Amino acid sequence: MSAALARIPRPVAALLLALAIHLIGMALIRGFGTMFGIRAMLVLATLLAIAAIGQTLVIIIGGIDLSIPFVIGFANVTAAQLYGDGVPFAVVLPLVLAVAMAIGAFNGMVSASLAIHPLIVTLGTGTALQGAVQLWTAGFPTGAAPSYVTSFVSIGGSIGPIPVPWLIPAFLVLAAVVILALGRTVYGRRLYALGSNPRAARLALVDPVRTWTITFALSAGFAALTGVLLLGFSGAAYARVGEPYLFQTIAAVVIGGTTLIGGRGGYLGTIAGALCLIELTTVLVGLGLRPPLVQATLGVTIVALVAIYGREAHVRELI
Amino acid sequence: MTDGQAILAAQGIRLAPGASPIDFAIRPGEIVGLAGLEGHGQDMFIQALCGLHRPEAGEIRLQGKDGHTVQVTEFAKAAAQGLAYLPRDRRTTGVLGGLSVFDNFAIAALPDHQRFGIVDRPRLREKLAHFTRELGMVYRSPHASIGTLSGGNQQKVLLARWLAREPRVMLMNDPTRGVDLGTRMKLYEVFRRLAADQGIPLVILSSEIEEILQLCHRVLVFREARLFAELDRDAMTMDRVIAAMFGQEAA
Amino acid sequence: MSRWLAGRAYLRLAAGLFVVLLAVNIALNPVRFAPTSLGVTIGLASGLVLAAIASMPPILAGRGGIDISVGPLMGLVNVVVVRWLVEGLGIESPFLIVPLVLLLGLLSGALNGLLATVLRIQPIVATLGTSLFYAGITLTIVPSPAGTVPGWIKALAGPTSILPLAAVALLWLLIKRLPFYEQLLCVGSDDRAAYTAGIPVTLVRFLAYVLAGLIAAVGGLCLTGLIGSADPNIAGTYTLLAISAVALGGVSLAGGRGGLVAAVLGAADIFLLQTALTFFNVSTFVLQIVYGTVLTVAVVLNADRLRQLLRGRRHT
Repeated sequence: MSAALARIPRPVAALLLALAIHLIGMALIRGFGTMFGIRAMLVLATLLAIAAIGQTLVIIIGGIDLSIPFVIGFANVTAAQLYGDGVPFAVVLPLVLAVAMAIGAFNGMVSASLAIHPLIVTLGTGTALQGAVQLWTAGFPTGAAPSYVTSFVSIGGSIGPIPVPWLIPAFLVLAAVVILALGRTVYGRRLYALGSNPRAARLALVDPVRTWTITFALSAGFAALTGVLLLGFSGAAYARVGEPYLFQTIAAVVIGGTTLIGGRGGYLGTIAGALCLIELTTVLVGLGLRPPLVQATLGVTIVALVAIYGREAHVRELI
Repeated sequence: MTDGQAILAAQGIRLAPGASPIDFAIRPGEIVGLAGLEGHGQDMFIQALCGLHRPEAGEIRLQGKDGHTVQVTEFAKAAAQGLAYLPRDRRTTGVLGGLSVFDNFAIAALPDHQRFGIVDRPRLREKLAHFTRELGMVYRSPHASIGTLSGGNQQKVLLARWLAREPRVMLMNDPTRGVDLGTRMKLYEVFRRLAADQGIPLVILSSEIEEILQLCHRVLVFREARLFAELDRDAMTMDRVIAAMFGQEAA
Repeated sequence: MSRWLAGRAYLRLAAGLFVVLLAVNIALNPVRFAPTSLGVTIGLASGLVLAAIASMPPILAGRGGIDISVGPLMGLVNVVVVRWLVEGLGIESPFLIVPLVLLLGLLSGALNGLLATVLRIQPIVATLGTSLFYAGITLTIVPSPAGTVPGWIKALAGPTSILPLAAVALLWLLIKRLPFYEQLLCVGSDDRAAYTAGIPVTLVRFLAYVLAGLIAAVGGLCLTGLIGSADPNIAGTYTLLAISAVALGGVSLAGGRGGLVAAVLGAADIFLLQTALTFFNVSTFVLQIVYGTVLTVAVVLNADRLRQLLRGRRHT
């Protein structure tokens, strides 16, 4: 059974899984398959998938980014505060993205040039960043997103007769760009080379510091984008809004078949992984489980899924 | 032959504090062997030549692509000027495990085969097909994982990775290690052709003296981090090379 | 002493920081750091110290080994002891509670070990899974802070606070005398070579997780003494604090290098930093900024590569 499963491409397996969960939900929960429910899940999965773009890139390169939730919170609060203070949104968005990317670039550069585990560096800068944001707003951020950002991500939004907000088609374009960038650009191929074998990649003229710097900057950039979109989604700013995304981005990437050893996987899998997670959470909540139990069940499910198809090689196979 | 013709030249290289300096130059079409007992400096020397190891003293000059002479201080910069280096341990420093034959082949040549950051795959595929014929590589498909290839074929892919950059000089660190006899003969033939037909000078570090005797025009034998003997074709015999490796003056 | 330190250059920064921070703390707050209140002070720190020690073995074992579930396990121990053992079953005797806590730690460690080494799920993912599981269970058992604890558990955060630490230190010294410790370091620095040399790599790694679970459970008990009740929200933060402490102690997350002293010093640094800052009554936000900055700066200063770069050496 697990051997047969192992032969299905990971993104396909994850997508089938999402579908299966959906069908189970429809069978067990009244009103699960309604249009509104599906739209809500699509929007939530899309937000997660955007936050997980960076985690995917970073994990392919052989790293991990723990600063994503903190950067989401930073962007969420900063955008609200600045826009609330009257700064035009056309200035706010680039500013927030630029600051986030600078922090990400620092993470990548320090990790790669000094050979420090990115887990520690991103944790350190992320914690400091969150503290700074909270200090600035005294823990009570004010402000909101412009109304067009809100309608851009609104679950009830629609594009003419199509009942989805603009977020969905925009994301499809973004996803296509990410997938093409990974597969067809010099940057993308170098990412896989570094993740597969950093020493060999360096000797094949891939500059690790440069690639890590760019990749962590992108990761922080997409996290910041998620933070701004979440501001539109929830209406009010909250410095800890990103917290669930720490575990969820990693889980979406791993369920999608990108392994933490680096060099393998892709963004299509992450999208499928994000769908899986949101479907599963929605079904569990729909079944009446309280949030802590939903969390516990998710933990078990992730381990079970990875045990089926994401196992590492035995040390004897590495010799 | 004057020094001006040298494509790669080293002057006053000291591999260890107090070791006597080494001068070295290689000209178009030459094949130079590096020999020595494991850990006696030949490995440091070849890495110094390509800018991966900074010697205690001395400088290395490379005749760059545009005819100017550049100092070799950093591997990436030297490589940009036409230097190629095939590392020693295929598994840890050569092969990109889990990636395809095509990816393993293309990685170093990407900068010259792209437009606006997008990889020029048709041209790279053509090149891979060309080198597949030239080197007699055997693999199922360009998309096959590099791990499915034999050691010899993996080595050919790594060689093709550098040939695709059209190098001006090639440094190879034990290029036939762990490679079967048939592939080895094929590689010798390729090396000779590179030197004779294209005039690419080759520096070959080898742990097999027989290989050096067969291929090289001269050999540098290292002993205790210094150049112990330099033997040219006429003086190169198994006995003499071995004697030099063990620190005995040639009889 | 200086010879011992010379072989452990990675400890210098943490040790230096420890001396400075201790001096600052003593100057700021001589009462808290007076010998008579040492018990209470150690009690405040012991949870973090034990969490850091618990994080050590899986990291030492290398190849991405890490136990993220240390904090959540401590939380689980906390609510299980208060809600189930003390309140539910009416057990108050240390001779029953301590073995049961240790058993819970062993089982949890064995579960992580099973997932990470036998099933070979990447350690971050495996222990992330168990983390979520424990955190969820903990919140289900006790949704909000409640309950009381027997006097002897409270004393673990006071007069007898040195006991659990001493017990774990003794355990560590014992383990250092076993061939297991050498094998652990071997596996951590080069698992392929260790495997070829006949070391049971999987078993060694498995035991590293078991050890982590065991020590984390002791930490959970100490934390219970400190809180004096069941609180589902406190222990979760201990994972990241523990990993930070280990990194501050100069331990490489790549494995093969580290030890008890590194973990203890790193944790003590974080604790002293916290107490010094709280003395000034700064907000938790400032604490967060300082703590994140110190962590980043410390790992940068401690990086081997930095020393090489400063010396101008390069390597392949």
